[in-house]
Amino acid sequence: AGFIKSPLSQKRLAQDSVELYCEAIGNPIPEIQWWFEGNDPNETHAQLWDGARQDRVKINATYNLHSTSTISIANLTADDSGMYECRASNDPDRNHLSKSPKVKWIRSQANVFVIERPEIVTNVTVGPDKVTLSCSISAPQLPITGHKWIHKEKTLQEDSNSGASTSYTIEGTMEEHSGIYECIFEANPQIRGQVNISVPPQVTAYKKSEHGNEGDTGVLTCKNPSFPAVTTWSWHKSGHGRLENASGRYIIKSSGNKTELRILKLDIEQDTGDYFCNATNSLGTGDATVNLRVRSRLAALWPFLGIVAEVLVLVTIIFIYEKRRKPDEVPD
Amino acid sequence: PPVLSDLGYVPPDGGWGWAVVFGASISIGFAFTFPKAFTIYFKEIQAFFNISYSQIAWTTSIMCATTYGGGPISSILVNRYGSRPVVMFGGLLCGVGMISAAFCTSILQLYICVGFITGFGLALNLQPSVIIIGKYFLKRRPIANGLAMAGSPVMLCTLAPLNQFLFDNFGWRGSFLILGAILLNCCVAGALFRPIGPGTAPVKTQVTEEGKDALKGKITEDGPMENKTEEEGEKDCFEKVNQYLDFSLFKHRGFLIYLIGNVLMFLGFFAPIVFLAPYAKHTGIDEYSAAFLLSILAIVDMVARPTTGIVANSRWVRPRIQYFFSFAIAFNGACHLLCPLASSYTGLIVYSSFFGLAFGMVCAMLFETLMDLVGAARFTSAVGLVTIAECCTILLGPPIGGILIDTFGDYKYMFIKCGAVMVLAGTFLFIMNYYNYRMLAKEEKERKAKEEDPKSVRTENEGKKNWNKDSIQDGPELEPLKEKREGLKKEMNGT
Repeated sequence: AGFIKSPLSQKRLAQDSVELYCEAIGNPIPEIQWWFEGNDPNETHAQLWDGARQDRVKINATYNLHSTSTISIANLTADDSGMYECRASNDPDRNHLSKSPKVKWIRSQANVFVIERPEIVTNVTVGPDKVTLSCSISAPQLPITGHKWIHKEKTLQEDSNSGASTSYTIEGTMEEHSGIYECIFEANPQIRGQVNISVPPQVTAYKKSEHGNEGDTGVLTCKNPSFPAVTTWSWHKSGHGRLENASGRYIIKSSGNKTELRILKLDIEQDTGDYFCNATNSLGTGDATVNLRVRSRLAALWPFLGIVAEVLVLVTIIFIYEKRRKPDEVPD
Repeated sequence: PPVLSDLGYVPPDGGWGWAVVFGASISIGFAFTFPKAFTIYFKEIQAFFNISYSQIAWTTSIMCATTYGGGPISSILVNRYGSRPVVMFGGLLCGVGMISAAFCTSILQLYICVGFITGFGLALNLQPSVIIIGKYFLKRRPIANGLAMAGSPVMLCTLAPLNQFLFDNFGWRGSFLILGAILLNCCVAGALFRPIGPGTAPVKTQVTEEGKDALKGKITEDGPMENKTEEEGEKDCFEKVNQYLDFSLFKHRGFLIYLIGNVLMFLGFFAPIVFLAPYAKHTGIDEYSAAFLLSILAIVDMVARPTTGIVANSRWVRPRIQYFFSFAIAFNGACHLLCPLASSYTGLIVYSSFFGLAFGMVCAMLFETLMDLVGAARFTSAVGLVTIAECCTILLGPPIGGILIDTFGDYKYMFIKCGAVMVLAGTFLFIMNYYNYRMLAKEEKERKAKEEDPKSVRTENEGKKNWNKDSIQDGPELEPLKEKREGLKKEMNGT
């Protein structure tokens, strides 16, 4: 048996996760085990299994043409630091309790260092028509090689300074630019902080005025593109109070950033009017108004008949005019 | 260039003709602008039937294809029944198509009602309107054509906001119903197309300006066959078909020149309009200003068409109208080639104005030049054959432009392609029409020489044999077009 891939030593921050990967080959296919030796001088090697350390350890192994095994440990603490060993053997007696195996387990080692998470102080400052976000590490233990700001998977700003703090300025108001922003300190390992711009719901109607045909289903939509997401939506009708889902002809479908009110079998008298959608989140409330107009089924019929009548009249006039002129005209 | 008419009578050049022009502008306006104005309903119908954009876009593609593809059928019907019944039936068909579309429950039904039925109705509107102008005008025909074609931009300017208004107030089903009624107005336009013709006057044995009727090869005819003759006896099946749709036009030099030049031109004709607004938005201009560019185009177009008609009618231009047409096409191409240089909004406004001017010039003379080459009598069949040939390139133009834009990510290649194609078409038409004019002048001289001959009272058949013997230069006429170029060179060197 022999190793094709050995696990790599890594540095991690506390509460992060780490993954070690090991691959071995042999005939017959070797078994892979994971063993750990802590930094304490008194500690001895102990084997790790899937579900160890309060279910923080996960081991995923495949034994097809060759053996592979991946061990991942979540929510790291300082006690997880130490030496991790990937052991492989294809000796049939390898796990025998009394007999000692003829061929020893081959081993490959990797060191995992868990570093205390540095405290990041974040700040949001609102100026005249601009918002400034800032992140700073209070006790920097690692050398920093650069900074980055990310929002919605897009890089907003990058630099290669080595300072312990970084800031990013946005033109506009908080309401326009709400969301989750990440400040990244380039180091080994990478340190990430999160700054949130949170605002009350900025509710807008998809269309301020909606139309529907009598008897059809009318759909009124309100959306909230801001952060954080809406926890409760509600619909009201002027003069009717609150509209409940599945009561009568109303169906309400809501999500964190959108709500839809469907009215079945529209009625001209009852359903025409203003509707209010109200949104609530941890910071406050917001609302918008949608106006619904219900068209009668026959609304289009009158103009239609009018135009058809006009066409018939004109055609008749033209033909009569022609017939009356015919006796006077000399054929060309 | 026609001075004598081959219709068998003298067209009024006025009087009721202006009413006919008005009716024709309505018909032509609907036929050209209805597919474009229809796009306003796409979003709503997409949402209603839950389909993709390309699926709904098929409706207008089918409509356009049927409008141009139905040309020959239209020509056959006009040849048989005259313009008026065909246009009234076409208007009725359009109306029925849109009214039934208002009750559609699936996209397939929409394809049929809006695409085929309305499209075919528009085809039955377009061709006869153009044809009847040739029957009512001769001396002032370019003006009449220019005015009739001016109906298109006017209709576009009114239909687009009207559609929006209808949609806001009545929803798409109600709008279709009302649009159906509005399309019935084509019947009114058709009612204006009072039939005109030689009446009981005998068919003149006048030679057409081409003089090539005699050289029809396999088809043996007695006299020009533009009017229905009573000698049904000796005609075989081929001739019967020819009676309804003049396939002998494919041997007609001028017709072939026109056909090839126009088919080439249409490859680059419509694409810039389709992509003007997206291009403007691409360079950072907002939606309303981009739409305003199209409005400028339409307004300049509206003015350019009648003006071009008047210019084309003038003493200096009319005999050389084919050159004017080729110049207009090449001018159009030059505009497109220069467009990538205009990156600011002002530059685009200038481009839109010039484009509108060039577009109007070409459109105004589109059918006039064909009438000029082929003669008003054979124009009926000619226009049908031309539209079905153009159908392919008209439909291919914008998608090819779209592919170019998607591949290169840049609009300028599309403009360059359109510009190059049109400059090429313009140059081709210019050269070939120069050749054509020379040949016509030569034939005219020979015809005059023969008429002075005392033995000139002879039947067409004898004349045909003599034509064959005497004029060697007519040889290239019967060969395929590729050899025509060598023929041209031979001509230039030989004579």
